[in-house]
Amino acid sequence: MLKILIPTVMLVVTTWNVRAKWLWPATLTHSLLISMLSLTWFAHTSETGWKSLNSYMATDLISTPLLVLSCWLLPIMILASQNHLSQEPANRQRTYISLLISLQIFLILAFSSTEIVLFFLMFEATLIPTLMIITRWGSQAERLNAGTYFLFYTLAGSLPLLVSILYIQTCAGTTSLLILHYAPALPMTSFADKLLWAGCLLAFLVKMPLYGIHLWLPKAHVEAPIAGSMVLAAVLLKLGGYGMMRIMVILEPLTKELCYPFIILALWGVIMTGSICLRQTDLKSLIAYSSVGHMGLVAAAILIQTPWSFTGALILMIAHGLTSSALFCLANTNYERTHSRTMLLARGLQAIFPLMASWWFLASLANLALPPLPNLMGELMIVTSLFNWSWFTLLLTGAGTLITAGYSLYMFLMTQRGPLPVHILGLEPSHSREHLLLTLHLLPLLLLIMKPELIWGWAI
Amino acid sequence: IIFIQLHLVLCNHLISSNFTQDQKSMKKKAVDALPGSSWSPVLINPNLPPERADIVIVGGGVIGWSIAYWLKQKERVRGGLRVIVVERDPTYSRASTVLSAGGIRQQFSLLENIHLSLASADFMRNINDHLFVLKEDPVDLQFNHSGYMFLANEQVAHIMEENYRTQRSAGAEVSLLSPTQVKEKFPWINTDGVALASYGLENEGWFDPWSLLNAFRRKAVSMGVVQCCGEVTGFKYKTNVVNSVDGEQMFIRRIQSVKVQMPNSLEYQPVECAIVVNAAGAFSGKLAEMLGIGSSPEDSIAGIPLPVEPRKRYIYVVHCPDGPGLDTPFLIDYSGVYFRREGLGGNYITGTSPEEDEEPDTSNLDVDHEFFVDKVWPSLAHRVPAFEKLKVTSAWAGFYDYNTFDQNGIIGVHPLINNMYFATGFSGHGLQQSPAVGRGVAELILDGNFRTLDLSGLSFRRILTQEPMLERNIV
Repeated sequence: MLKILIPTVMLVVTTWNVRAKWLWPATLTHSLLISMLSLTWFAHTSETGWKSLNSYMATDLISTPLLVLSCWLLPIMILASQNHLSQEPANRQRTYISLLISLQIFLILAFSSTEIVLFFLMFEATLIPTLMIITRWGSQAERLNAGTYFLFYTLAGSLPLLVSILYIQTCAGTTSLLILHYAPALPMTSFADKLLWAGCLLAFLVKMPLYGIHLWLPKAHVEAPIAGSMVLAAVLLKLGGYGMMRIMVILEPLTKELCYPFIILALWGVIMTGSICLRQTDLKSLIAYSSVGHMGLVAAAILIQTPWSFTGALILMIAHGLTSSALFCLANTNYERTHSRTMLLARGLQAIFPLMASWWFLASLANLALPPLPNLMGELMIVTSLFNWSWFTLLLTGAGTLITAGYSLYMFLMTQRGPLPVHILGLEPSHSREHLLLTLHLLPLLLLIMKPELIWGWAI
Repeated sequence: IIFIQLHLVLCNHLISSNFTQDQKSMKKKAVDALPGSSWSPVLINPNLPPERADIVIVGGGVIGWSIAYWLKQKERVRGGLRVIVVERDPTYSRASTVLSAGGIRQQFSLLENIHLSLASADFMRNINDHLFVLKEDPVDLQFNHSGYMFLANEQVAHIMEENYRTQRSAGAEVSLLSPTQVKEKFPWINTDGVALASYGLENEGWFDPWSLLNAFRRKAVSMGVVQCCGEVTGFKYKTNVVNSVDGEQMFIRRIQSVKVQMPNSLEYQPVECAIVVNAAGAFSGKLAEMLGIGSSPEDSIAGIPLPVEPRKRYIYVVHCPDGPGLDTPFLIDYSGVYFRREGLGGNYITGTSPEEDEEPDTSNLDVDHEFFVDKVWPSLAHRVPAFEKLKVTSAWAGFYDYNTFDQNGIIGVHPLINNMYFATGFSGHGLQQSPAVGRGVAELILDGNFRTLDLSGLSFRRILTQEPMLERNIV
């Protein structure tokens, strides 16, 4: 564990000490080495229990995929930010990279923490670098509004969480995840315990986001620069899912009754956000709303707490992280050339960027959960387990899947097919850096078709 | 005790007077700082344009606002496009639109011009179907449908006949009149020297340009177009070097942001944008120079400047109590002198185009009254004898956005600047074609090519190939 964390901390030192000419190659190589090292976490010999154990950090089967994803994301974020930061002075570039690295450190600590308190601290700590990235390097005046929404939605949700964690500490005597599984169940009989249940879960539901408290997400995603969007979509949303998975253990047996409104909100959110996507003109906004929809499925799956649903949720989290991040990178390639996120002004791009069109195609297909990609595996397991829980959900999830396919194809056809407007003709050609970026997103996704055992948590 | 009481009263008085004042100001500050008020600790100039827009239209005349309206009309989802219109003079003191005589005619020789005017006339007749804003007054253009009448002498009568055929085939309602018919219809005309007259029966006349501009602006603003008062002083662009087929090196530019400077200030805001529309009218040439159009050696494409420059034209308001009646058309003589009725009190507007070599100075909008006495009045009085007794009550001057190449509009993209669209150079008939031009440019931007009217003949290509599309019989 420390063999990943210490190099990541030292990456900050690297950032500030290399010469400006070598800044991007050096940080890229260093972070790629770290992510290669992180792949060793996949070597789990036991199917339950914790690996890489030390007093405060450990990995187990649901945190390992998320940890590897966040380690994988750092080199990709550095690759993606290289172009738009190239005009800034060197020290500001170093600051930006340091913010990304600090985000990485907090995420590693969060996903590998064995104490709920440490997880909560890191959960909150990730807000700070993200807020800095959005409000300082975003491109529009609305980014201040976006930062405010982002910060206060999460903070408002996590204050009850803090109180709940402290209560758990006094009640159960410990907040260590290693022990809480074996602790006697908390007496959950009074109305206050229902508030405890809500308090524990609200922060994570806001972070997921649950439809209804999702308003911060489109704003934050649209206004953030590319690295901000990528890390938000790929990993920060999964913090919510992971937190929910961890804390549901101690919240039995209340979940059976109390989860109803949230499952309904989540599934209704899938349909509503899908419909909103069909009407969007802003490309990044479309991808942001599609994130809300996918994570709604994940939220519903985690709330019903069956083995298949947990597996499906985990697979979908990883697959969605890679896909959403890839889509944001593609949208950014558009934005860097035309300086506009409006889909109406950048159409018919297949004619001038054919290879980029194939990446668009793959990413759109992944978004609409085409077999045999892991997106489908996750969605199918979630839909099946939800159907088992209640047959009625099939109407919602089925309609949701249909609308998801609709807007994914709409996004692809609007940007790639159609007449090429005259003012698009002089765009600069694709950089190989951009192709590398998308390969690094889509290759793991394709490889995971072959070995989904890596990401399906506790065995089915 | 009295001393203590006095002391207390005094202290109270002092404390309360300061205290209530402080309290008031603190309250005011708190009310200001509550959410929903516009106070902020960081003072940002509220007049600055937004940092990003999709389309920046440079020039807030009737063409600019028409394009803004049509862009918003054609976006398929509300709020789908961010459009801003940048105008440096909100009083429009030197803008060609409001200083125009306001006439509209279909009597051109080029098919594109005829179609543009026809479509615009149709738009203006049904203007409240297009530009009506809820809870505001309906638009009244004061469109006088009195028609235009061109008079031709022996030498140019055949051109007039050919134009007549073109106009009829395009759908314009024009009629040819012989001199006797003209005399019958309008007894106040002296038909001496007139061989043929062409009289527009429908969709021709004049209207109030200010009303049209305001109608477009009001509607566009209600649909979400941002209006910015500022001057475009520069562009930030990216240059690509391209080797053409004949080995010539071309610099293709792509605008990344527009630098908008606030009036009377050094403060500026770079507006990042995807597309820039040059609708700056008489000053479009200067705008194009900022991008390096025309600053390269003569024999390359980059050396061809945008051939639009301001040309000053005078309009004189005359009062003649026994002048032509209410049905008088917009009369244009073959000598170039024109006049039309203005209002109902016996006032008329008149003027003429000066000779090529006698173009007035364009650094100001001062009126040369000698010009009226020397050039306008003689021909005017010859054509309409009643005008021998008239009094000039007022006069003004306005700029034509004169296309020195062929005096017709330029609509389309520049070959060397990827994302700048031009809609300029209309040389005196921009106002009457503005609704259709706006629609054409919006189709070009959003649909990729023209849909309703094919205006590809007015593109930049004719300037590159040096093939002018000249009107025969121009005013």
